[in-house]
Amino acid sequence: MITQVENPVLEIHDLTVSYDQNPVLWNVDLSLPSGKLVGILGPNGAGKSTLIKSIMGLIPPTSGYVRIFDKPLNDVRARISYVPQRESVDWNFPASVLDVVMMGTYGKLGLFRRPGKKEKDLAMQCLEQVGMTGFLKRQISELSGGQQQRVFIARALAQQADLYLMDEPFAGVDMATETAIFQLLKEMADSGKTVLVVHHDIHSAMNFFDWVIMLNLHLVASGPKELVITEDLLRKTYGGKLNLLTKVTDLIRNKDFNPLKS
Amino acid sequence: MTFDSNAFLIIFTGALIAISCGFLGVFMMLRKMSMTGDAISHAVLPGIVIGFFVSGSQRSLEVIMGAGLLGILATLMIEGLRKKAKVQLDASIGITFTLLFAIGIILINLFAYKVDLDQECVLYGEIAYLPIDLWVTKSGLNLGPRITWLAGLNFFFVIGFIYLLFKELILTSFDESFSSVIGINAKGVNLALMSMVSYTTVSSFESVGAILVVALLVVPPATAFLWTKSLMPLLQLTAALGILIAILGYYLAYWIDSSIAGMMVTVAGIFFLLSAIIKGKKPSWLQGTYKAAKPLGI
Repeated sequence: MITQVENPVLEIHDLTVSYDQNPVLWNVDLSLPSGKLVGILGPNGAGKSTLIKSIMGLIPPTSGYVRIFDKPLNDVRARISYVPQRESVDWNFPASVLDVVMMGTYGKLGLFRRPGKKEKDLAMQCLEQVGMTGFLKRQISELSGGQQQRVFIARALAQQADLYLMDEPFAGVDMATETAIFQLLKEMADSGKTVLVVHHDIHSAMNFFDWVIMLNLHLVASGPKELVITEDLLRKTYGGKLNLLTKVTDLIRNKDFNPLKS
Repeated sequence: MTFDSNAFLIIFTGALIAISCGFLGVFMMLRKMSMTGDAISHAVLPGIVIGFFVSGSQRSLEVIMGAGLLGILATLMIEGLRKKAKVQLDASIGITFTLLFAIGIILINLFAYKVDLDQECVLYGEIAYLPIDLWVTKSGLNLGPRITWLAGLNFFFVIGFIYLLFKELILTSFDESFSSVIGINAKGVNLALMSMVSYTTVSSFESVGAILVVALLVVPPATAFLWTKSLMPLLQLTAALGILIAILGYYLAYWIDSSIAGMMVTVAGIFFLLSAIIKGKKPSWLQGTYKAAKPLGI
C-alpha cells in the first residue's frame, strides 16, 4: 500500500542503507506531498531513525537517492530542519536555553557572522511557541526531559524551514505537552510546511497524523492515514507482537462500532 | 618589594601560555577530547625533528609547520582508527601518540649528530631561562625575551581563532549531527581546532615542555567547569585560573628553588583538588530546586 504523489516535497528512490554491510533499510521508495503531518511508524529496530538520518545525509546510502523539493540535499539545506533524538547530545553542556535555540539560526548566518538582535528576537518567538519563555536563561543541564525536548523543537522552529524531520520528539514527554506540541505541528502543516515525525505510539498517531509511513526494514506502507492504518498492514509492520496489535485492532473496531445504529 | 622585571616577564609569559592553553582546553573538554590534546602534544615530536632537520634551526617556521602537520595527522589517525578499525577512542589515542612519539625519539637519535635537540628539552622546557634568551634584531635593537613574543603571538592567534569561529565551535561541540545538517563543516572545524592545539603546543614547548602543556590544556578548564555551568563564566574563570597559576607557580618555585613550570602545574592540580572537594560536598539545599515547566498554552 504505497501511495506516490505528483510534485513531491520529498522523494526517496530505491533507498538501501547498511551498517557494515548489514542492510538496515531495503529498497525504500516513497514520495510525500507538502503541507502534511507525516508519521513514521514501526517497531524498534525497524530503521525509522536510519531513514531520517539518511534523508539528512548523516548516513550515506548504499544505493538509491533522496531528492528534497526536487533538488539534491546540498542545495536545500537551509530549507530543512532537524530535531535529533534527545539522548544524542550531552545536556551537561554549558549553554542556556536561549543559546541552544539560537543555534537554529546559525545555518542561515553563515561562517564568521555572529547572531544579533534579529536572531535573538526570532529565538524568543520560537521559545514562546513551545511555552518555554520563562526558562530563557536557564542552563540546559537543569531542565527536565520534556523541557529539553521542547528546547530542541524551538531550535528547529528557529531554522524557519519548509521541511521538518523529527526523531522521536515525544520520547519522555507527558501527554499534555505531547498534545500541545502536536497542535503546534498541525498548525505548521496547515500553513504549508511538511513535518515528518518518528513516532511509536500508534494510538496518538491515529489521532494526529495526516499521512503515515510504516516501516519494518522494508517499506510496508506510505499513504493517507485512512488508507494505511488497517489490521493487515499493522500486522505486517509489527509482525508477531500480538498484544500491541490486538489493542490497536480493538481501537479501530471501537471507532466504527456504534451500538445505537445496530 | 621592588619591581622585578624578570619575575614580571616570566609570570606574564606563563599567564599568556596558560590562558591560550586553557581557552583551547575548554573546547577540547566540551568535545570530550581532552586526551586528544595529550596525544597531539606528544605526536608533534617527529614533526619538530623533521622541521628542525630541514631548516637547521630550532626557531623556524618549518618546525611549527611540521608540528602542525603531525598534529593533524595524529587527529586523523585517531579518528580513522576509531571509525574504520572500530578501536575504542582511548585505545586509538594510546596507539597513535605512542607510535608517533616513538618515531620522534628514533629520529632524534638518528639525527643527533646534526641536531641540537634532546628529549629533555622537549619534554620539560624551562621558562626560567626566558629573560636571557632575547630577541635582538640585526641592527642590534633589543626587543625583549623571544619566548614572550612567541607566547604573545600564540595568544593573539588563539583569541582570534575562538572569536571568529565561536558559534561553529560551540555548535559542533554540542551537537555534531545537527551542525552537519545545517551545513557547518564539523570535520573542518575539528581539524582547525586540532591545528591550533598543535601550534600552541609547539609554541609553548620551549617554555613549559610537552607534558606540562597537557596539564594546562586539561586542568584549568576542568577546574572551572566544577564551578560554573555556563560558557562565558567558564572561559573567564579559566583565564583567571591561568593568571593565578602563573603567579603562584612562579613565587612558590622561587621560594623552594624548583622548576617554575612544574610548580605551575602543581598549583593547578591543588586548585582542582580543592574545587573537587568543595563542590563534591555541596549540600542539597544549596543546589536550588527545579521550577516546574509552565503548561503549554497553545
